[in-house]
Amino acid sequence: MRNLQTYAFDWIAWMLFAAIPVAIFWQSATSLAEQGVASGGPMRNAAIYPKAVAVIMIGLLVLNGLRVALARVAEPSPPTWDEGTGKAVLTTGLFIAYLVALPFIGFHIASPVISAVLFVLLGIRPLVAVAGGVALSLSVAFVFEGLLNVVLPVGIFGISLFS
Amino acid sequence: MLELIREGVPLFFSAQALLLTSLGVAAGLVIGVLPGLGPLMGIVLMLPVAFHLPPVPAMGMLIAIYIGGSAGGSISAILLRIPGTPLAAATLFDGYPMAQKGRAQDAVGLAVSASAIGGLIGGLILLFFSPILADFALRFAPPEYAAMAILGLLTISLVSEGSPLKGMLSGGLGLVLAMVGTDEFTNAYRFTFGNFNLSSGPHLVAVVVGLFALSEVVFQIEGGGFLKRPSIDRLGISLKGLRLILSHKLNLLRSALIGTFFGAIPGAGGDVSAFISYATAKRLAREEEGYGDGAPGGVVATEAANNGTCGGALIPSLSLGIPGDASTAVLLGALFLLGFFPGPDLFQNTPEIAGGIFLAYLTSNVVLLVLGLLLAPFFGSVLRIPKAWLLPIVLLLSTLGTYALQNSVFDLWVMLVFGVVGYVLRRASYPLAPIIIGMILGPVLENNFRRALLLSRDGLSIFIERPISATILAVDALLLIAIVISTIRRSISPRASASDPV
Repeated sequence: MRNLQTYAFDWIAWMLFAAIPVAIFWQSATSLAEQGVASGGPMRNAAIYPKAVAVIMIGLLVLNGLRVALARVAEPSPPTWDEGTGKAVLTTGLFIAYLVALPFIGFHIASPVISAVLFVLLGIRPLVAVAGGVALSLSVAFVFEGLLNVVLPVGIFGISLFS
Repeated sequence: MLELIREGVPLFFSAQALLLTSLGVAAGLVIGVLPGLGPLMGIVLMLPVAFHLPPVPAMGMLIAIYIGGSAGGSISAILLRIPGTPLAAATLFDGYPMAQKGRAQDAVGLAVSASAIGGLIGGLILLFFSPILADFALRFAPPEYAAMAILGLLTISLVSEGSPLKGMLSGGLGLVLAMVGTDEFTNAYRFTFGNFNLSSGPHLVAVVVGLFALSEVVFQIEGGGFLKRPSIDRLGISLKGLRLILSHKLNLLRSALIGTFFGAIPGAGGDVSAFISYATAKRLAREEEGYGDGAPGGVVATEAANNGTCGGALIPSLSLGIPGDASTAVLLGALFLLGFFPGPDLFQNTPEIAGGIFLAYLTSNVVLLVLGLLLAPFFGSVLRIPKAWLLPIVLLLSTLGTYALQNSVFDLWVMLVFGVVGYVLRRASYPLAPIIIGMILGPVLENNFRRALLLSRDGLSIFIERPISATILAVDALLLIAIVISTIRRSISPRASASDPV
């Protein structure tokens, strides 16, 4: 249990990597087999190379799992709570909300709002943050929408300023 | 060699290419100056913009950011004792003591001049060796390309900071990400889980931005100190650095050559070459030069080496398609996405693009010398910008840049997922560069592996029957043995080999 806490991020990363060979063998047995490309010669077998990589990764995972279990890795990776961890978590949450809202309310509403909120979160005074958020959003939109002709998400209001 | 340059002249000497190269150097310097960012972040942030440009101006801008960013890190090392990038870590040994003695202006001038001249020397070697290596690679067939791709993956795993075993796992993740999408030979969908957005695989740039930029933003926010403004000596415009460097000619040449050599070894990187170059200069110097106590020679050695590395790293990247470091891996990715394939094809079929890239590299170093000296007063102001302003800017630029690739909100979710993956892997001390190199080399490895098997009358024996392929595989085997030994050694005394990931 103590090992799990001391090497928490090592174990999370290990599980992330362990999911890869599992997914490869599962997909080879299901999706690729259904498409008829999980066997045969090298040109017709789309599973041959993924399976080879998966086998190598299993070997590496066994070795690395042993190293972590026996505490033979250089750095412990426990979960920590630093000065800004709360803000980092909040920023991630805000960013997810931004990605969800972006297609609905459009870039020109969502971006000044998220920028201003982040500026405030990081300690900028609210009035300055709002001005900064609007200025930042407008300037990047000018470059991408105005100069590079990128169609930014217009949302349900259909707002597009520079195209 | 001159033929390539001649071919590249019409494409490179346009107002657009020259302007973007100059802007790229300026942007690279600024982003390199800011602690925690660096050339890779600069390239990553501007990558989406590059896709909207013609190939030579696009590559010119990205290469210029690479050059400017590699030099910019020295300025915060000198003024604040915080290297802007890991490349400049060795520069603070003598750069910061010089600043403490009231010679900040000289130290910055020397760093910029040494970077530019070191980079130019690396560029000339690049210009000379790349076509030769590419010419040699004309003898390569699928078995050799597959063996070279394995070589690239093994070297980056071995020399990446952190455990080579973790480097190999990261490389494996990159290989797997490259498999997602439509299989080139059968047109079957692989690992798309029924999501049509994945039919071409996750976009390389979305993955890169997530892994590097997003995870860095979270790390910086965790670190706190959002409104800190360091007090910094005022700098002016001075050409004294350029004059001072003339008394370090031999050191400059030697360090640039060391940097280029280590740059050409895939994965070795600028920080390794800067430390080796510094150690060499210190060993060969007289005691009264006072290395470690503000010796100008120390600044020259590290800066000439880390920018020489840029030229060296581009040699295997352009001629063989094997990236020298994480930044060149992303540059290679840009070249792929612009529709050009590094290796002999680039030199044979599109010499004007190869020539344009060489010219962009050489010109960037000249621009670096001019802008580095002229913009010196501006760097102090950049360093005074608090993180509270910078981090939301980086976040919004990353988002918009990634969206602009294919006008796709799905790419933003990919970026977010890889931001989380990047954060977890960095916390667990996994290097991230092998993921990108795996993603780039993945298709090269798979296509050539399967083609080689098709050509072979006797399965895998084709890989050892051909002399070049057998030689490269022998080198691969040696590297694998080195990785095993290194892993065993690290497992026996893990604390002794502790280090931070990329």
